[in-house]
Amino acid sequence: MYLHEFEYYAPMTAEEAFGLIGRLGSNAKVLAGGTDLLLMMKEKMLTPQYLIDINGVPEFQGISYEPAKGTVIGAATKIAEIEHSSLIKEKYFALHQAAGELGSVQVRSMATIGGNSCHASPAAETTTPLVALGAKVLLASDAGERELPLEDFILGNRKTALGEKELVSRFILPEPAPRSASCYGHIGLRNAMEIDAVNMAVNLVLEVSGRKIKELKLVMGSVAPKPLVSLEVPAILVGHELSDDLVEKAALAACGEAKPISDIRASAEYRREMVYVLARRLLYQAFNAAQEV
Amino acid sequence: MKLIQLDINNQVYEIPVNPRDLLVDVIRKKVGLTGTKKGCGQGDCGACTVLINGVPVLSCITLAISCLGKKISTIEGMADEQGNLHPIQQAFVDHGAVQCGFCTPGMILSAKALLDQNPLPSVLEIKRSISGNICRCTGYKKIVEAISAAAKEISTGEVK
Ligand SMILES: Cc1cc2nc3c(=O)[nH]c(=O)nc-3n(C[C@H](O)[C@H](O)[C@H](O)COP(=O)(O)OP(=O)(O)OC[C@H]3O[C@@H](n4cnc5c(N)ncnc54)[C@H](O)[C@@H]3O)c2cc1C
Ligand code: FES
Ligand code: FES
Repeated sequence: MYLHEFEYYAPMTAEEAFGLIGRLGSNAKVLAGGTDLLLMMKEKMLTPQYLIDINGVPEFQGISYEPAKGTVIGAATKIAEIEHSSLIKEKYFALHQAAGELGSVQVRSMATIGGNSCHASPAAETTTPLVALGAKVLLASDAGERELPLEDFILGNRKTALGEKELVSRFILPEPAPRSASCYGHIGLRNAMEIDAVNMAVNLVLEVSGRKIKELKLVMGSVAPKPLVSLEVPAILVGHELSDDLVEKAALAACGEAKPISDIRASAEYRREMVYVLARRLLYQAFNAAQEV
Repeated sequence: MKLIQLDINNQVYEIPVNPRDLLVDVIRKKVGLTGTKKGCGQGDCGACTVLINGVPVLSCITLAISCLGKKISTIEGMADEQGNLHPIQQAFVDHGAVQCGFCTPGMILSAKALLDQNPLPSVLEIKRSISGNICRCTGYKKIVEAISAAAKEISTGEVK
């Protein structure tokens, strides 16, 4: 399994990176952690003429927080840095959980958050919580920047809205609402080093006083070509306190919305059943956690 | 081909590489350090684990050319100059944690990265740290015991 011949560039600034991608366009691929890209190149599924390694560009690195505005995560930030960030753990718990489940220690120390979204696998670990948390991506090029909600950036299995001369520079996560909590869950065949059969994230906001749900986002992964945002679950739960009856109703509704397929990892039927299990589990977890903040 | 300098175990090697050359192949074939193993070649088995700036990475999916200016550590750099084994290596020997040995270099480097960060890990933390290293022989129990024992050995050694 050797790679084909290509040219390698390692820009040190964002301008240099935009210049290269602007000039080389569709013949080039951005190299971040390489944990998807190099595998696809080994399989000859992709044979780019040029690789643009963005790991040396400081503007694409790191996690920073601005009160009231939210959190900015550079696209080339390693999954391990996200997993170990106390800021992410405190404010975006679902993302913290998902980061800790991606691959192995080695994979997490190589893989980046930008690569996970740009590869756009339906079973991706971090896209589900990022969509639930309301993440936006910044697409940057020589011509400037544009911002898209992550759920609009990912179009389907390995399809994104990334333009030929663009790269993803950053993710922006809004400041979490008061009295809110998020959590993530996944089901796979074994605990470690497993691509999810189903994953899910819930982000729940309670009214300022009382126990009624003010806002809720439930997102399912690996049961559709892209992260699936439930419309029915919020319709059932917003404005109400959580009760066993409502959770049952909401979990069944989520099952109905899921559009899973059967593949090597699980049957469609099993996936649907697991959507029910995860929805119940995560709704209770998020509701209980939100009352404690 | 481009001549690049790679810092492996604190020794600088000047090596001609192609952009497409993978770090594992350069270490094994061009530098001649064959302790690093190549198993699956696709990130799954961890046999090719090396440390880059102290962090465990998979050399089978790393381009050698991307390692310029970084510190690479392989299993050959673990023993001291006199050839005394590192406490983790010694613990693997003492606890029967080596059978065929194919997973061992990667396993030991993963363990070193863990203990450098977290000198007295729990059993669960040890298991998590080697979840990307597959062993076909030992059943992992003795490996986990060896890492626990090495952690104690290194920590008490430092107190002395
Ligand atoms: C052993 C193993 C286990 C894995 N387990 C999991 C798992 O449990 N869950 C999971 O979700 N994934 C898993 N993966 C897949 C992979 O690690 C992740 O998808 C990872 O986040 C990809 O990031 P990367 O930085 O390595 O991307 P790369 O491989 O560098 O890039 C992936 C794609 O995105 C493009 N790209 C990357 N960054 C940018 C950018 N900033 N702008 C524009 N385009 C960009 C590249 O051109 C390429 O097309 C696993 C992979 C391996 C090898
Ligand atoms: S050879 Fe690199 S992970 Fe298997
Ligand atoms: S000792 Fe043989 S693979 Fe681990």
